[in-house]
Amino acid sequence: MEGRRVYSVRAFNNGVATWLSRLPTLWVEGEITELRRQDRWASVFFTLKDPEDGACLAAQMPRGQFDALRLDLSDGERVHVFGRPELYEQRGELRLKVLTIERYGAGAHLAALERLKQSLAAEGLFAADRKRSLPRFPRLIGLVTGNDAAAKRDVLTHIVQRFPPANVVVAETYVQGPRAAPAIATAIGDLCRRGADVIVLARGGGSFEDLLPFSDERVVRAVASCPVPVVSAVGHEQDTPLCDLAADVRASTPTHAARVVVPDLEELRARLERARESLHRGAHRSAERHAIRLAAAHDRLRRAPLLALERRTARLDTVRARLGALSPTATLERGYAIVRRLDDVIRSTDQVAAGDAISVRVADGSFGATVE
Amino acid sequence: MTEVTFEEAQRELEQIVERLERGDAGVEELTQLWERGEELYRICAAKLEGVRGRIEELSRGAGQN
Repeated sequence: MEGRRVYSVRAFNNGVATWLSRLPTLWVEGEITELRRQDRWASVFFTLKDPEDGACLAAQMPRGQFDALRLDLSDGERVHVFGRPELYEQRGELRLKVLTIERYGAGAHLAALERLKQSLAAEGLFAADRKRSLPRFPRLIGLVTGNDAAAKRDVLTHIVQRFPPANVVVAETYVQGPRAAPAIATAIGDLCRRGADVIVLARGGGSFEDLLPFSDERVVRAVASCPVPVVSAVGHEQDTPLCDLAADVRASTPTHAARVVVPDLEELRARLERARESLHRGAHRSAERHAIRLAAAHDRLRRAPLLALERRTARLDTVRARLGALSPTATLERGYAIVRRLDDVIRSTDQVAAGDAISVRVADGSFGATVE
Repeated sequence: MTEVTFEEAQRELEQIVERLERGDAGVEELTQLWERGEELYRICAAKLEGVRGRIEELSRGAGQN
């Protein structure tokens, strides 16, 4: 093997590394995958993946710089990475030494979100007839919040203020970053198993990216398939994360969420007092109505015999009048006479012959006569 | 008597009030309704008084990994 130039591995790697280091810094676009970050590590590691054909590139960035960017990247996010290639000499592995990262394409995100929204809507997850009404008096309220405290405190304070008897079980979870979506979905399930009969998702306002977990398919499905009603109080009025669409009730603020999830104790008391007053009034009025009806009946009862007598007298008078009209007296007074032979009333000339004795009855008496 | 919920008691009380206001309850029934109404009022009022709920924290880690 004379004249052959042989390098040690170390020398080879070192040579390649030196050569690589002369390459310029440049921008590379890809999807973040396998993001690994630990507080005790000096660097953050991830793999940049080509979304088209899956080609991969290992990348490394000093943890301090990575943290300072506050990007809260999650797997699958599109980024532009500025860096230069370098060789990890010990292992002979090529990687991109990252100087900065920029999230790429909120537009792309929006489009993806819109696609997800369309497909979930087509499945009927947001349908109005799926919406359930909330229990009027929840036994146990399950609250999913982050540890950012503000939203959690807001909801709890208002729930307790409105309705001191409320029972609440709180599940604190991650509400942003790559771990948030599965954590939220799990928390919803946990709270249901704890016996919650209504779930409140509460998170204060945040950037578009901050609220992304609440549009994550896993969270949306967890909300839609939740066995008890869900109130979504995520972000501000203008934000509409997809979980809002799947929830049974959408609350614009944590205060609003408290208002829809528990009744107002003072209002309940007032309503109860009103019901009692009405009860008294109603009972009184009913009793009065009975008394009036009774008095009226009594009155009629008292007058009944007299009334009956009067009616009978009146009827008698009528009969007498009719009888009077039928009597011949009135006719006789007008000048007619009743002629009898023996006891027969004479109606025809055939009934008498000359010399017959007849009696004639006129209005004021009778007299005898002889037929000629 | 079996334990009624506040909601049930309140609903029954309001139904009784409605009946009374319609004024078609018989005299014997009237007394019964009124007494029942008062009882329901007491049940509801007792349920609203002095009850304090509980707030508990699900142990951290249960909802996440």
